[in-house]
Amino acid sequence: MITRNIKFNQPVKPLPPKPSRYGPDPEYIKTRGCDLENIVSVNVRELFPDIPENIYPSEKGIKAVRDATVAALEKVDMSMIKPGDSVNVLGSHHGFTILGGEPYAEMLKTIKDVIMEKTGTENIRLRVGVGLRFRESDEYIKRFGLDEYFNKRAIGVAPIDEGIPIETEIGTLYGIKRCYDADWIVHAHNSDVREIHFHRHVDRAVKPFGMSYARIETRSTYHQNLGPRGANFVARAIFNSEFVQKKWTFATFLKPTPAGIASVDADNDLFALDERLSIDNFRYYGKILTLLSHIDECIAVLDFQAPIPYVFSAGMIFANFSAASIDVFDLDYPLPGYTWYTEAFYGEGDRPLIPDIPPVNPAIKAMVINYAWGGYPSVFWAKMIPTIVVGEWQAEVFRRDPQNVEFMKHAVVADDLPTAIEFAMKIADTDKIIIFDGAPGAINVSESLAEELVEKAPDVDREVEQKLLPKWCRQRGIKLEGYAGAEAH
Amino acid sequence: MRVVNMYAEVDPEKCTGCRVCEKVCPTISIKVVGEKKEKLAVVDLNTCVGCGACVERCQFEAVVLKTLDESRIISVNPHSVDEEKVSELCIKARLHPEQIICYCTGTRAEEVAAAILMGASSPEEISRMTGVRTGCKVECIQPILRLLKAAGIEPKPIEGGWQWYGITPTIWDIPEDVIKKYSARGFYFEEDRALFKKLLDTVKAGGE
Repeated sequence: MITRNIKFNQPVKPLPPKPSRYGPDPEYIKTRGCDLENIVSVNVRELFPDIPENIYPSEKGIKAVRDATVAALEKVDMSMIKPGDSVNVLGSHHGFTILGGEPYAEMLKTIKDVIMEKTGTENIRLRVGVGLRFRESDEYIKRFGLDEYFNKRAIGVAPIDEGIPIETEIGTLYGIKRCYDADWIVHAHNSDVREIHFHRHVDRAVKPFGMSYARIETRSTYHQNLGPRGANFVARAIFNSEFVQKKWTFATFLKPTPAGIASVDADNDLFALDERLSIDNFRYYGKILTLLSHIDECIAVLDFQAPIPYVFSAGMIFANFSAASIDVFDLDYPLPGYTWYTEAFYGEGDRPLIPDIPPVNPAIKAMVINYAWGGYPSVFWAKMIPTIVVGEWQAEVFRRDPQNVEFMKHAVVADDLPTAIEFAMKIADTDKIIIFDGAPGAINVSESLAEELVEKAPDVDREVEQKLLPKWCRQRGIKLEGYAGAEAH
Repeated sequence: MRVVNMYAEVDPEKCTGCRVCEKVCPTISIKVVGEKKEKLAVVDLNTCVGCGACVERCQFEAVVLKTLDESRIISVNPHSVDEEKVSELCIKARLHPEQIICYCTGTRAEEVAAAILMGASSPEEISRMTGVRTGCKVECIQPILRLLKAAGIEPKPIEGGWQWYGITPTIWDIPEDVIKKYSARGFYFEEDRALFKKLLDTVKAGGE
């Protein structure tokens, strides 16, 4: 294989493990994936040089996020909010998983300060939604001092909390009552592609209205009733409802790229913001995921403070990688290799019920779980991919998890990470390793896989720019021509 | 099918009797008894499946999950009832009998249909019999309500409870003007309907 003249870097150290009720005690996580022999890092900008510069991490520190938030909010109309009005800033647990959570926390704090300054109201609350780990947001609120910052008005909300019916153009859906118990709402989210296997990047920016701010009835509609490409319509239906529009003010989004935080964007028009972030995501995340989908074979090492699907590498979550047996951005494909509709359509004996079902990314020959949380139904991956769990402490996380009671029936336990890798290499018959450890700005991989990524990146760059990006935009009615680019926003 | 290996335990020193645990329990296995300062949540160990909803929503950290000395299995065998009726019920609800409807427990539509044919008439009874909706507690309420509706049963939500509120639209209910309006924005409803139809046609054809 011919490689470009890139000297591979030392592996980038991931953030240290965080204590959480959903994961193992950080004391047990002694060896990380990046500590293994022959692991190097590939800087994502060396793969795709057009990825915008970071505002964070950068030499300006966290202040850069505050400054970007203030600048983005200058163009936003807040005149509907009067002194004394109540405002709910709606957030989501997802934002806190990006680069340790501090950038998202800083954006939330800044939104509060700017609203106070521009409108004169002090009655500003924070409501942080979750997915399937109902206390996760409470952990972040405490860790980043948000309760104090919001004057004891910050709470985590869960989809099983008290609900409120919302009439929409497709019928009654349900939101979480405490998300909407204010005169006004502000939508404060993050723009990375994240669960593209679910939303297929159709109305990405709107999704929390059908998820983080929604009750179980709505979420179940998303994942069971509307289909793999229409699912995210519940979010649009709720957002467009008279109930929500009466309370609507503006959105503020932290905008990461696979390399770090590029900017903060804000707008009163959520769909305009969605179009901007869609083009940026197609361009930057699209290239990374397309590149990862071109990997021929590998062992995936999961090593991050999140459940299995949400561990990161180069800004992509593992669920995306496991889904990438098809192009998940391309709506011509009904089902990715992983999504809940795909999982649903495996019959008894794990037999596909229809031939249209793509396999879980066949490049993943084995999965080693060095560090991951419970709190997400993950048995599917253990059934589809040979799985090695490092340590009884990690196995116990799954055994005690109501969402993964049977996970360990389909996995084996190794005493330590090197032993797990040794075994994985034997069953996978490859020395290519990719580590999902959230290392900022880089992918930690084996040298053999680093060479493959570097070799393939230029072709992927051209394929996305010339062929895929225009197609992805066209499928969603997004006008690519005339877009000024990420750094203009 | 659900392996039950945990149960909820209440710390009487911490419990305030606020009743949130009662409102979120999918199997109605925790109830607050007593009056005023004597109020206390009590767990029915016969029906508690250790889903942890009460643990996760208790703001006083008064409930914890404990490991059972011996795990047990709750399940309904779909082959123990008239399989043709199971299939009919699933198809009427527009679900493939083998389709997984609970991603945590791996419960298939046919098991829930069988529970209904055996007399279950509410999501709570179905959860007690099959374990469905006792993992994440979030994603599977709608197919359960669809199967009940297909059986001609319209269960009422528990008064004052937050377990569930109501049935919601499916892809088959979306008005044609909505489909037309948004098809160019990436919502491929027509194509997804065709996918579901293809899935259901395999049942009518007697499988692959």
